[in-house]
Amino acid sequence: MDCCRTARPDTLKRLDASMCGMQTLSVLGPGAAEVVGSLAAVLDGRVATIDRTETNPVEPETADGAYELGPEGSWRGTTAGSGLQPLLDDLAGEFDYALLAGVSRTRMPTVVIGDHELPEGALLLERVADRSALELEAIATALEETEPYVTLETLIDRVKASPKAERSGAIATFTGRVRAKDAPDDSPTEALTFEKYEGVAETAMARIESELAERDGVLAVQMHHRVGRIEDGEDIVFVVVLAGHRTEAFRAVEDGINRLKDEVPIFKKETTADAEFWVHERSE
Amino acid sequence: MHWKLFATLAEAAGDRTIELDRDTDETVGDALDTLLDAYPDLSAEVLNNDGEVADHINLLVDGTAVTALDGLDTPIDDDTELALFPPVSGG
Repeated sequence: MDCCRTARPDTLKRLDASMCGMQTLSVLGPGAAEVVGSLAAVLDGRVATIDRTETNPVEPETADGAYELGPEGSWRGTTAGSGLQPLLDDLAGEFDYALLAGVSRTRMPTVVIGDHELPEGALLLERVADRSALELEAIATALEETEPYVTLETLIDRVKASPKAERSGAIATFTGRVRAKDAPDDSPTEALTFEKYEGVAETAMARIESELAERDGVLAVQMHHRVGRIEDGEDIVFVVVLAGHRTEAFRAVEDGINRLKDEVPIFKKETTADAEFWVHERSE
Repeated sequence: MHWKLFATLAEAAGDRTIELDRDTDETVGDALDTLLDAYPDLSAEVLNNDGEVADHINLLVDGTAVTALDGLDTPIDDDTELALFPPVSGG
């Protein structure tokens, strides 16, 4: 669900990727690059395409990534194998959409052509036998309903855009991430999988944000919690506070994450090397 | 009415969303009895030894905790969305 369209329906149009978060889509299988190209033409907003198919051989000896700048600032890139997440993080601040051909990742909405395998953890949006069977408009619509790719930077940009920003002397942030071990001999955590009560979770988070923002000296608060499978070392949750001074900023960040953990209907399943269990079962 | 179950409760029931015919159910308590009759494996997860809803179980009526309403006497209609879940564990 997109924060912009739920929180501010009057600004439904995607004016600024940094405010809304970036929608991502992976296309796998024969003709993936062509589908990405056609889809880029249909989408309304700034689109980055990332290509890792055999049709665009990379030259890792010359660069880690090759990007081509098109008219009106849109660009396409050919990645050199590593660092997809840092690349997406960079793109998230500037683009409304990132379309990937021939590469997918956990939680990413994915369209599969032919009998190409769906990577574990990817979110299947549609599977078709042949790319001629794809309806681009339908995919574009379905894409709007998927979770946007939101980064810490996305939230920092949002609070900086607050009309009260001129009174701000501090931004404090909290990032929660997947901890592999709590003690040296722990069975390592491989991943956490989160589910949320759609709609009610957003309302609860919005209430916490607005109550914290009513405090003296606190100017803006933004929180985001990812859902689905999140691997060891990945980020889970962000809290960002824009405040007049550091003391209010730190307090609001701490209270924000504590209230989120107490009040927002989100549920965590832990996968370790030995077992899989819902976390509340072990923490009671 | 519409039920939504999460985490361990969804696994115990084998379903995340459940549609049940309201028939004569007038209150949240009636609806809960109907649910637990249809999904007996849920009872052990939801009820304490006295047959009451356990303290750590959350029961929401259209997004609001039933404890902030009239408890199990809260009235329902055909469109009411009821949710049942264990302690939240985000973050």
